[in-house]
Amino acid sequence: MKERQFPRARVDCLSREFSNEVLVYDLQRDVGHCLNSTAAAAWKLCDGNSSPPQIARTLSRQLSTRVDEAVVLLALDQLAAAHLLVEPEVPVERLSRRVALRRIGIAAAVALPLVTSIVAPTPAQAASCVPFNQLCANSGQCCPPLLCVLNRCI
Amino acid sequence: MKKLDRLDWAERLTLSAFGVRAGVRVNVSGLLPRVLPLLPPGWTKSHRVIVERLYSLVVAQGCARAGMRRLHVLYADTMPVARDAALDQVLAALETDLHRYTAEATSDMTFLHAGVVGWQGRAIVFPGRSLSGKTTLVREMLRLGATYYSDEFAVVDDFGLVHPFARPLGIREESSYAQTKYTAEGLGAASGVKPLPMGMAVICKYEAGARWQPASLSQGQGALELLANSFAVRSQPHQTLRRLHNLVRHSVFIKGTRGEAHEAAASILNLSCARERLEAT
Repeated sequence: MKERQFPRARVDCLSREFSNEVLVYDLQRDVGHCLNSTAAAAWKLCDGNSSPPQIARTLSRQLSTRVDEAVVLLALDQLAAAHLLVEPEVPVERLSRRVALRRIGIAAAVALPLVTSIVAPTPAQAASCVPFNQLCANSGQCCPPLLCVLNRCI
Repeated sequence: MKKLDRLDWAERLTLSAFGVRAGVRVNVSGLLPRVLPLLPPGWTKSHRVIVERLYSLVVAQGCARAGMRRLHVLYADTMPVARDAALDQVLAALETDLHRYTAEATSDMTFLHAGVVGWQGRAIVFPGRSLSGKTTLVREMLRLGATYYSDEFAVVDDFGLVHPFARPLGIREESSYAQTKYTAEGLGAASGVKPLPMGMAVICKYEAGARWQPASLSQGQGALELLANSFAVRSQPHQTLRRLHNLVRHSVFIKGTRGEAHEAAASILNLSCARERLEAT
């Protein structure tokens, strides 16, 4: 349970700051994540030595406003779901978003943490599809709903 | 490869584009001039012997026997890429495969799947998958006076500048997937030459009858949208992230669903002008 009590950010990901957001690229899963300011700030404080209440206190100091522990727990759950924290050995019980929002209340002083993710495309997925009656090698190359029949997208 | 090498090759060419070296060889004299317009824009002849990818175009010769079709075959290294009785189709496959390979293999630039136009010294980028309406929007922007950069790739360098990839626009005719090629000049527009900083990225998809009411996106969210259209992020994640970081520095992002292209295009140019005025004051 230590990992949950003292969450630790994965260090084998690439990250870049964009204003106050952070773009993280997971090299193992080929997934990109955008962490908004609150999620990014919480992620940076996941050093494996700080508990959620400690992270909330540090965040409060950094942002000069009170940050509820529920905000940190919500951030941790989103970060864990995105596999951006070192996986706990024992599965931890998650705080549901609804419960977290109820605890935070509607007048949170900071933006709610948000992690948006996309799976990085393969070159074939990123490329243009093959239009009607053009040559193809497989149906995956054809523009949907076309199929590759006798080497042509039909 | 040895079997292919043993064939009698009439003409060959080694080219370099965006740092990628490729070779093309054909077994018929006089065919190479038809291949040249299909090569990536900005390609140069290379004198190196070793290439990263070698295309072999075997054109069927002689008379076909009754009931048999003679097929032209294109190989990329040893892999057959296209096989057809229509040479134009095989040449189109060569163009598609070579452009795609260049986008994937180059480490000099980062290729994003996007349409690009130049407007008042900035690039307006339309990232999106196939059939999202990029080319239609680019064509409409050209009609309104923008400069053509690409309808397929945003080519981003280390400084985050967008380079032209001004191949002819592949315009899909109404209610058809078939494409017709038009040059920018043929559409009355100029093609860009100078690399530009990105001023705006527009993430949109077409929906018949939709009203264009875009929302703004944060830089991080915008960068994530660009990442989702990046060719080589899996093989070159470090360079991709670094170049995206430089690309989005002075850019704004908008996202929405558009109806007809003319409405969205005019609104995008107005937004771009308003932003220029705001920055100038």
